[in-house]
Amino acid sequence: MVNLDDLKKEALNLLKDEKVKYIIGYTEGSNGTSAAPAFIKNPEDTDKLVWNPGCFHNLTRFLRDEKKRKAREKHPDERPVGIVVKGCDSRAINVLLQEKYIKRDDVFILGVSCESTGVIDEKKVAKKLKGKKAQKIEWDTNRNLVVTTEDGTTKIPADEVLAERCVECPVHSPVVYDIFFGDKIKRTTDAQFKSVEKIENLSQKEKWDFWKKQFDKCIRCYACRSVCPMCYCDECVVDTISFAVTADTTAEEKAQRIKWIEKSPTPSETFIYHIIRAIHLAGRCIDCGECERVCPLDIPIRFLNKKLEKEAKSLFDYEVGFDPDQLSLVSSFKDEDPEDFIR
Amino acid sequence: MAEEFEPKIVAFLCKWCSSAGSDLAGVSRMQYPPNVVPITVMCSGSVSPLYILSAFNKGADGVLVSGCHPGDCHYIKGNYYARRRIALVKELMEYIGLEPDRFQMSWVSAAEGIKYTKIIKDFVNILKPLGPQTNLRRSQ
Repeated sequence: MVNLDDLKKEALNLLKDEKVKYIIGYTEGSNGTSAAPAFIKNPEDTDKLVWNPGCFHNLTRFLRDEKKRKAREKHPDERPVGIVVKGCDSRAINVLLQEKYIKRDDVFILGVSCESTGVIDEKKVAKKLKGKKAQKIEWDTNRNLVVTTEDGTTKIPADEVLAERCVECPVHSPVVYDIFFGDKIKRTTDAQFKSVEKIENLSQKEKWDFWKKQFDKCIRCYACRSVCPMCYCDECVVDTISFAVTADTTAEEKAQRIKWIEKSPTPSETFIYHIIRAIHLAGRCIDCGECERVCPLDIPIRFLNKKLEKEAKSLFDYEVGFDPDQLSLVSSFKDEDPEDFIR
Repeated sequence: MAEEFEPKIVAFLCKWCSSAGSDLAGVSRMQYPPNVVPITVMCSGSVSPLYILSAFNKGADGVLVSGCHPGDCHYIKGNYYARRRIALVKELMEYIGLEPDRFQMSWVSAAEGIKYTKIIKDFVNILKPLGPQTNLRRSQ
């Protein structure tokens, strides 16, 4: 079991010794089930840190903001940022290291093991509780979720409330860390790509109908882009707001700017947005499932990323986020890469 | 009688091999369908997936990406990168339910004018029964 007091103690020491600038961790959320990201600067606040099944956020996303903030400062604080990571999040750090977006010295990683469970899917839990408000949730030792509501406690088996990505997760403990909490439990999954196979088995028309129904809902709020730790480009292909428009910019110049995709959420544009998003994350997505969680319209975006993860593994024998020194998927090749589709 | 459907093909040809190959087909007066719009790029490895989708978005019925044979790339390894990237695009297109046949890749060297005409002929024959591509086309 992860000992929360150890985590608090280490965090306290780090802040007391001024080894880190601040610590990004989880604190109690407001609705009982989900935790909330917390930025802890004062040693006395470390008591607010929590570790529970509702810690599903991928905090590595905040490293993006930290980097931008640091770039703006005149005399930046060079100390690392402490960050609490799960197994999946630690792979995100590996990808950021691989892409040289951050340096290893920029982060002090407090790795927390998911052990035999993982994190919950809020929607699944809400369904189980039938409108009751949870006050506290925790895992017991037999892979049950113990939910405390005003009517007492109930036990729900883990498999019924675990987030889908946790069921399909190949690693359950951080692969890169400075301090490790919990036990390293080897857990294998035989159904790493089960959700993808469900769609793969449909016919071409069924696939199209499925995705059309999903993407028709998209309102192009870009929440999936905002939450993704890998979407850190200063300028995104789908919006041209970051083009510098000055008083000298002529109308002709503005008109001639490349507009790859229209902003309106019409079906054709939304399709291209989601395909491009998936392609840009090929070999980089670590399947933290945040894009799908934040989607206000419940589009199963994760299935797209997972499909490319599967193809990267089966076609090119490439696995994401285990080795920060490997070349990225699309900037490397092998002589024996498949080419049976080429005429 | 209704007019027969003539597909529009956008072909991204690399400057060093495929473009020269298509040139050879032209100067040798080889006959091939006029459905193709060639766009010369510096290397097949420079073709972003966004170019391909953008072509479909703006009205192409089929897209062809053509580069040098493996080992012949002017930039040593550009076509290897292209091969990997395009394999992913193809898989994803199939997964989303788009007709994977609308998108093809080929290796055409500067000496293969005949192969180029054959690829275009075959591609047109594949596209004709599929009809116009409407799934990704921008609505006016």
